[in-house]
Amino acid sequence: MIGAFLNWLQHGWGKGPTPDGQSFSELLLGSLNFWSLLEGTHLLMLMLFAGTIMVVDLRLLGVTFRKTRVSVISDAILPLTVFSFALVVVSGIALVFSRPITYYHTVWFLAKMVFLALALLNIMVFHGRVQATQGSWDADETPPRAARMSAAASLILWTLVIICGRFTPYDVYQCGKKQPDFINWIQQCKTSEKGEENMAGQRFDAQMWRQQ
Amino acid sequence: MSGGLTFQHFFPQASSWVEGLATTPVAVFVNGPKFGYASWEVGHILSLILLGGTAILMNLRLLGAGVTEEEPREIYRNLRLWQTIGVVGIIVTGLLIGSANAVKLYNSSAFTVKMMALLAGIILTYGVSRPVAAANGAVGLFPKIWFAIGGAIFLAGLWILCTTDLINVGVYHVITAAALILIPVTRGRLRWGYIAGMVALIVAQFVHTHVIIKPDDYGHLNPVNKTYTALYAVWIVGTALITRFRGKGEEGGPLTKLVAYFAILVWVLGATAGRWIAYQ
Repeated sequence: MIGAFLNWLQHGWGKGPTPDGQSFSELLLGSLNFWSLLEGTHLLMLMLFAGTIMVVDLRLLGVTFRKTRVSVISDAILPLTVFSFALVVVSGIALVFSRPITYYHTVWFLAKMVFLALALLNIMVFHGRVQATQGSWDADETPPRAARMSAAASLILWTLVIICGRFTPYDVYQCGKKQPDFINWIQQCKTSEKGEENMAGQRFDAQMWRQQ
Repeated sequence: MSGGLTFQHFFPQASSWVEGLATTPVAVFVNGPKFGYASWEVGHILSLILLGGTAILMNLRLLGAGVTEEEPREIYRNLRLWQTIGVVGIIVTGLLIGSANAVKLYNSSAFTVKMMALLAGIILTYGVSRPVAAANGAVGLFPKIWFAIGGAIFLAGLWILCTTDLINVGVYHVITAAALILIPVTRGRLRWGYIAGMVALIVAQFVHTHVIIKPDDYGHLNPVNKTYTALYAVWIVGTALITRFRGKGEEGGPLTKLVAYFAILVWVLGATAGRWIAYQ
C-alpha cells in the first residue's frame, strides 16, 4: 500500500497523457537548477537552525552566557530557530518528494526520521514540563538537572539527525546489494524495485516476493 | 560568463602533485573505512553549523538585532571559543576531505570561490568582526585595514561565483541570506515595505518565467532571470543602506553595520560554494 502510494507520488502524480510525460516529482528531480537550490537552501537553513538551537542548549547546560538570563537568550534566538526550522522542513519535504521511493528504502533516512521525532518530542517535554518552572531558575548560572538533561538530549538528537541526513545519499546499505537481514528488513527491500540479497547470497527480487 | 577560475589556472605546474594526493596516507585514511569520507563530511557540516550560529548571532548584535539585552562585547566573550572551534573544525575536516578529492577540487571554480570565502571569512571574523564586537561596535584603524582587504577578497569571490557558468545560480543563496538578514534588522514600516517589495519581485519573476515565457525557453529565460537577480540585489542592498543610517539602541555606526553584513555573508558564500562543488 505504501509502496503503491510512493510509486504514484514519484512516477504518477502530475504525469501528462503522453508517454514521455513526467510527473511532478520527476520534473523536480530533473530540473536544471531548482533541485540544487533546494538542497543548498536545506543546508544553509540547517546552519541557522542548528547553530542557533545549539547556543540556547549551551546556555541551558550552563556552558555559555552564564550571566545572562535563559529567557533573554531564548526569547532573542528562538524566533530565528523556529523560522529556519520551518524552511528546513519545507525544503526537506520537497527533497524527499523528488525521490520518495529511494528515501523510503534507505535506512539512514528512516533513522533520521526517528531521531527527528525524538528531538521534537524532547522540545515538547521541555516546553510542557521543564519550562513550567523556569521563573525559579531563569537567572541561575547552571540551570537545574532537568533543563540540562533536555539540552543535552537536544544536542545529541540534532547531531544524530544531521549525521543520518549526511549518510543518506551514500549507498553503503542499498536494496539489491548483499547486506544483513536486519538492514533488509528495516529498508523494506522486499518491496523495493531492486529486491533484497542477504549475506548468504540468497537473492529475492520484488516479483518473487509478490508471488510468494 | 566563463568556465571560471580554478586552481589549475593559477597553478598548472601543480597538476602532478595534486594527482598524487589521492595516494597519500591522509587520503587513504579518509577514503578507507566504509563511512570514513562521510564521517569527515559530517564533521565539516557540524563545524559549519557551529561557526554559522556564532557568526550570525555576534554580527546580528552589531546590526542591532538578536540578543540586544547584552552588549556586543558580552556576545563576543561568550561565543568566541565556540566560533574558533567551528573555524578550526572546518579547516581540519576540509583539508581531510579535500585531500581525498584533490583532482576534482583542483579543477573546480566553486572550490576557488570557497577558498576565497574562507580566507575572507577568517580575515573578516578575526581581523574585523571580533575586534569590533569586543570594542562594543567601535571600528579601529586595524579593523578598517583588514576590512578593506577581507571585503575585497569577499567581493572578488562573489564576482567569480556570479560570472561562472554552472555555479552562478548559487548566488541566489547569498541573495536569500542577505534578504533574510534584513527582516530582523529592519523595523516598522521599513520592514513591511521591504518584505512587500521582495514578495512583489518574487511573484513578478514567477509570472514572467512561467506564464509570459515558457519554462523551457532557456534562451529567453536566462536574461530575464539575470535581470531579476540584479533587481533583488538592488532592492536588498538599497534597504541595507537605509538600515546603516537608522536604528536605535545599537552600538557603532554605518561602518560597523557594513562589517556585520559582510562578516555573515562571507560564510554564506563559503557554504554555498562548498555545496556547489558537488553540482559543477
